[in-house]
Amino acid sequence: MRDPRAKWRISILVLVLAVAAAACSEGESVDVGDETTTTTGEATTETTEGSTTETTEAMTETTEAMVDDGMILVAAQGSEPDQLDPHMTSAYASFQVLENVYDTLVQPAADLSMEPALAESWEISEDNLTWTFHLRAGVTFHNGRELVADDVVYSFQRVIDEGLNGWRFAAVESMDAPDDSTVVITLTQPSPNLLVSIAGFKGMAIIPQEIVDDGSIGTNPVGTGPFRFVSQSPDEGILLEKNPDYWRADEGLPILDGILFRQIPDASTKLTALRTGEVHWIDSVPPQDIESLEAEDGITVGRVPGGDYHYFALNQSREPFDDVRVRQAIAMAIDRDEIALAAQFGAATPNETAIPASNAAWYYDYAPYAPADIEGAQTLLDEAGVSDLEIEFLVTSDFPETVTQAEVIAAELAALGISVVINDVDFSTWLDMEANGEFDAFMLSWVGNIDPDDFYYAQHHSEGGFNFQGYSNSEVDELLDAARVETDQAARKALYDQAAQLIVDEASYIYLYNPDNINAWRDELGGYSTRGDNAIRFEEATLN
Amino acid sequence: MGRTLPTGPHGSDGMTGFLVRRILQMVLALLGVSIVVFSLIHLVPGDPVRVALGTRFDQELYDLLRERAGLDRPIIEQYFTWLGNAVTGDLGVSFRNGQPVTTLILERLPATITLAGAALFIAVVVALPAGIISAARSGSGLDYTVSAASQVGISMPDFWAGVMYILLFSLTLAWLPSSGYSPLGNGVVEWVRHLILPAMTIGLISGSIITRFVRSAVLEALNQDYVLTARAKGLTEWQIVRRHVLPNAWIPIVTVIGLQLGFLLGGVVVVELIFAWPGLGRLALIAVKDRDFTVLQGSVLYIAFMFLAINLIVDIIYARLDPRVRVS
Repeated sequence: MRDPRAKWRISILVLVLAVAAAACSEGESVDVGDETTTTTGEATTETTEGSTTETTEAMTETTEAMVDDGMILVAAQGSEPDQLDPHMTSAYASFQVLENVYDTLVQPAADLSMEPALAESWEISEDNLTWTFHLRAGVTFHNGRELVADDVVYSFQRVIDEGLNGWRFAAVESMDAPDDSTVVITLTQPSPNLLVSIAGFKGMAIIPQEIVDDGSIGTNPVGTGPFRFVSQSPDEGILLEKNPDYWRADEGLPILDGILFRQIPDASTKLTALRTGEVHWIDSVPPQDIESLEAEDGITVGRVPGGDYHYFALNQSREPFDDVRVRQAIAMAIDRDEIALAAQFGAATPNETAIPASNAAWYYDYAPYAPADIEGAQTLLDEAGVSDLEIEFLVTSDFPETVTQAEVIAAELAALGISVVINDVDFSTWLDMEANGEFDAFMLSWVGNIDPDDFYYAQHHSEGGFNFQGYSNSEVDELLDAARVETDQAARKALYDQAAQLIVDEASYIYLYNPDNINAWRDELGGYSTRGDNAIRFEEATLN
Repeated sequence: MGRTLPTGPHGSDGMTGFLVRRILQMVLALLGVSIVVFSLIHLVPGDPVRVALGTRFDQELYDLLRERAGLDRPIIEQYFTWLGNAVTGDLGVSFRNGQPVTTLILERLPATITLAGAALFIAVVVALPAGIISAARSGSGLDYTVSAASQVGISMPDFWAGVMYILLFSLTLAWLPSSGYSPLGNGVVEWVRHLILPAMTIGLISGSIITRFVRSAVLEALNQDYVLTARAKGLTEWQIVRRHVLPNAWIPIVTVIGLQLGFLLGGVVVVELIFAWPGLGRLALIAVKDRDFTVLQGSVLYIAFMFLAINLIVDIIYARLDPRVRVS
């Protein structure tokens, strides 16, 4: 006979695991996510047990108080913020959160022109080399300390020394804080795009030095923005609460009591969570679901033409792509409408240049290629003496639209007898191969650009840092160099228009389209709109 | 242990020697796992600095950041540095966010263990009765129904099943939350409500697999001569199953349950993704994407450790069930 109690051992094993799990999960803040939003209207039990530390208890009380007010917005993001240090992260998910915590010196308005933020006003010297910024009075960080000009200088110096965005200060010679409310920036050359460079997004946030010194900046951000950071846990997401001392408090802002950012990686689960009311807002909508979601009662789809652009580039250090006629033939043979339709279900605007029509100040309406002009393309290929061409497209499933686009392009180029080999790798590998020039063609998108210098210089100047396709045209170099320092807006635009024309004509990049920026939210959420720069700002948002 | 096991000449030393042997094997296996994982992630292209820089690549900055992270050292050196720290319990910090790897893992371990435990619970609760009944009534309509159902369960991809459950139970019926995790500390009701769908998704799949093993193990035991004897003695079918069949069928069943638990602890990545479950699988997946070497190594090591520990526990149960195991 064998031990008949053996079967209970398995049960005990399961039990032990369950207890271990329970023991590991310390009592933390209440799951605000469901309490505030469950549409089924069920009463939920709130038993907070075993709060271990004082801070945890305080946190829980704060959360419960907020839940009672019912003004916590639950926002779902598709990926996880890697860290919360605005100067060190490059993750859009992090910026969705930090957008509401930090401020910049100035900031992009809804129309992408630069408006006052921490700096109330600024002057530019006669020679365009000295910019003087006057800080708003009475701005405090979330730790209670008053913002002074030294904080601005410190923050910018940290970006230059440490961060990923030091290149934005290329034209800056020195920075000074002559008094607590004045910042003076001296330049080596006139830089009409200075404001965009040093304040175009929250990667240029103004931070207090003390959270760098004590090492808490990556996990416990302290800014001047409308919301204060409360807590972050993998179980419950990131919780922000209203900053009652916000510098727009006299306007009654912010209105919400807090924001809970939940991370829901699966797109269809995220969509369901919006439909069931578990979350109020989602950061994106799969293109194929936009139409059905727009038709749904109680849900708003925010959709504006975005500043991003999708493109591909041919490797000009490889034959035959060094021949401009071959590149033009390919630019000519594709059909951008078809590509945008396949990749984004039409939630995009085909464009043969980079800058979208929504960027009114810099848009240049130029479209020399007729769609799917196979005949014209064939003529060019014949002139170049190229036949039986094979192109290896470097794409990545981490950005699935690049794969779809390559498939459509493959079908379109088949009409020219060009065969396309799709090389689909993960993004990390993609970056490696792009940097090493291991491609016939690479395909991706550029996001978050506002100023034309960001659209063209690094990508198409022969000395440009991201000119992996190897484009080199001295005329383009001169135009981009001149435009960089031209302070007259109209003259500057004329220079960029000429450069764009050459870049498009010579197919340095083959531009495809500008995708729409898309968020969706339940109608309870008011005072929010999707923005052209994809910044997620809840400072004026309300919940009913 | 109230019951004395038949002890041979080896006595209790048999068990100690067995344990020492198994634990040594475990350490070697973990070392092997760490070498394989380390080599693999360093051999594939891409590294965390490249990912952090993204498309804004700059060679100088890249070199600088690599140097700061120690990634410019020879791989062998990096491995031994890592190993030296790991044996003292220090798994390093994440390249992605500078957090200690151990903290990141321990934050997520409860969620993973909860999910795996609950899934196994569902699996066993479904599989044991279903497998036993279907073996005892072999060839009946009930047997066919169980077989068909378990076939469906095995063939059902977890990502598909998960999405279907969400659409049915969250969207249409509005009974359960579609995603997320509520720690036990925040109340049992919410904990259970969040747990049901993900646990069901993999629990039913595991349960289907276990059902088949239970059925065949019980069936085999039913065909033994002693069952014939028992029948001849006039015992009822249920008495036979309970007294004679189950005790003999138990070893293969324990084996498959142990394997399934190991699979559940390490293989719930997809389910964690679908249900936004903050577990170890999701941590490891993000680490792969971002080439967060230290986090990936740490997570894989933990998963491997748990898998080996479960195997060890299963073997100890064997040794209890059947003394021959520990002597051999």
